[in-house]
Amino acid sequence: MQWQVWGGLSSGRQAPPFPLFRWSQRHHVRTVHSAMFKYKSFALRKISNFGTRYLPFADAASDDLPLSRLLRLSLFQVTVGMALVLMIGTLNRVMIVELKTPATLVAAMLALPLVFAPFRALIGFKSDNFKSALGLRRLPYIFKGTMLQFGGFAIMPFALLVLSGYGEAIDAPRWIGLAAAALAFLLVGAGMHIVQTVGLALATDLAPEADQPKVVGLMYVSLLMGMIVSAFAYGSLLENYSPGRLIQVIQGSAVVTVVLNGAAMWKQEARNRLRATAPRGPEPNFAMAWAQLSARPGMIRLLAIIAFGTAGFGMADVLMEPFGGQVLDMSVAETTRLTVFLAVGSLVGFSLASRWLGQGARPMDVAIYGAAIGVPAFGCVVLSAETLSVTLLIVSTLAAGFGAGLFGHGTLTATMRSAPRDQIGLSLGAWGAVQTTAAGVSIAVGGVMRDAALSQASSSASPAAAYVPVFMLEAGLLVLALLLALPLWRKSPATALPTPAPDLATDGSAG
Amino acid sequence: MSNDPNKVWPTGLTLSEAEEVHSYLIDGTRVFGVIALIAHILVAISTPWLG
Repeated sequence: MQWQVWGGLSSGRQAPPFPLFRWSQRHHVRTVHSAMFKYKSFALRKISNFGTRYLPFADAASDDLPLSRLLRLSLFQVTVGMALVLMIGTLNRVMIVELKTPATLVAAMLALPLVFAPFRALIGFKSDNFKSALGLRRLPYIFKGTMLQFGGFAIMPFALLVLSGYGEAIDAPRWIGLAAAALAFLLVGAGMHIVQTVGLALATDLAPEADQPKVVGLMYVSLLMGMIVSAFAYGSLLENYSPGRLIQVIQGSAVVTVVLNGAAMWKQEARNRLRATAPRGPEPNFAMAWAQLSARPGMIRLLAIIAFGTAGFGMADVLMEPFGGQVLDMSVAETTRLTVFLAVGSLVGFSLASRWLGQGARPMDVAIYGAAIGVPAFGCVVLSAETLSVTLLIVSTLAAGFGAGLFGHGTLTATMRSAPRDQIGLSLGAWGAVQTTAAGVSIAVGGVMRDAALSQASSSASPAAAYVPVFMLEAGLLVLALLLALPLWRKSPATALPTPAPDLATDGSAG
Repeated sequence: MSNDPNKVWPTGLTLSEAEEVHSYLIDGTRVFGVIALIAHILVAISTPWLG
């Protein structure tokens, strides 16, 4: 035994500084063995503590939800905003200008993620009823969604290069580039929808009712901030475009996505022993769960309001800038500022809505005020085309953003409040499906209407004629949303959208 | 510590819990593997490195 040899060697000398030596001088070989066992058990105890400390789920649910933890959770919205900007803004331009891909093909590719939007309700439903031995519901889905998003970004630059016929790819069969690009966009889109749906459901799980307006506000602000910051970042990173730079930027976004989503979900969801050990009942049925949700009074009406309102506000997103440029002869820098004004208006709307709702205002009322501000705002946009007043356009852009902020915040908070505790994922999935589909369809319809009018109009006609019908349609959609929402105005939420009874099984308490 | 027959020692997870954690690892590895394969094929198409 080595220990003994060492001990024997050191016995005649002064006590060595290394404690093991001193200790083997005093004891017999057998005790050395038992002490080794102590070290072993010590190390293993350390390892098992290490295990629970460095696993991504929390062992116990905490009652309080500090702001720092909420901010961390809202990071997943930053990655969603990043993916949105990259696909709709940056790649839209890079594919057409630098990669010389046909514009219709680009539009088709960018619309692909939208195909996945209606499945949000299904994803939310599945995460509500996820069977897990660990008692987790949301974490596995955020993990899988993040992986899909990462995978899509990882292959996207190469898919785009093959699609544009870069290098030797010009000789490759056409379908390879098409299929690879479609796969990349589908993966990112699917991952984005999953992460956002389940992440919002997790946020609703965690937040007590009183904190929900704060949570919604934070989620919206993070999404917007993620979009603004990444738009600037992508712009400066791709200033000197090269294929290598494109690969770096897109794959860099993949890594940032994984890091931010990992940080966002770390230790957020508590393990739930009750749910983990609950007897496995019959497989829950989506159609039944959906019927149950839509049978709740006011639910279908709420979803219709969200669809009309989002469509009304959504059309302006992509048409404000060309409108300013073509009709009011604003420069590129000025029209970019229009988008900034829209975002600033939304930010003010979100924060004011958070404050009002936190003080006890009803979510539906806030949404109604938002839509009511939107109608005259779009009227003023039409008026600015008549009077050619840039100031009027800027003011009405601010007002439209403000109204959109109030409306979005109010309707999401209303959805959260009305969701039964065991159907939070399904409700927020339905919200996301309706909201994303309405926004995407309205942007497409607005663009098509504008293009059709522009191509039909004779060259002498003013370009305003192409935009005015779109802005009228927006105002009309908002009026529709208002008409649907008016019966809910100033009613207590208890009669309009019944608040769910508390359910013990969802308040995670793990041993 | 190692007395409970239902627990996988030394993690303190039960067998089904450990299997679930493991399944996430396996899923992740598979997805990353497929993604890497596709990415390599695409790069080989645009800039061939195998002659």
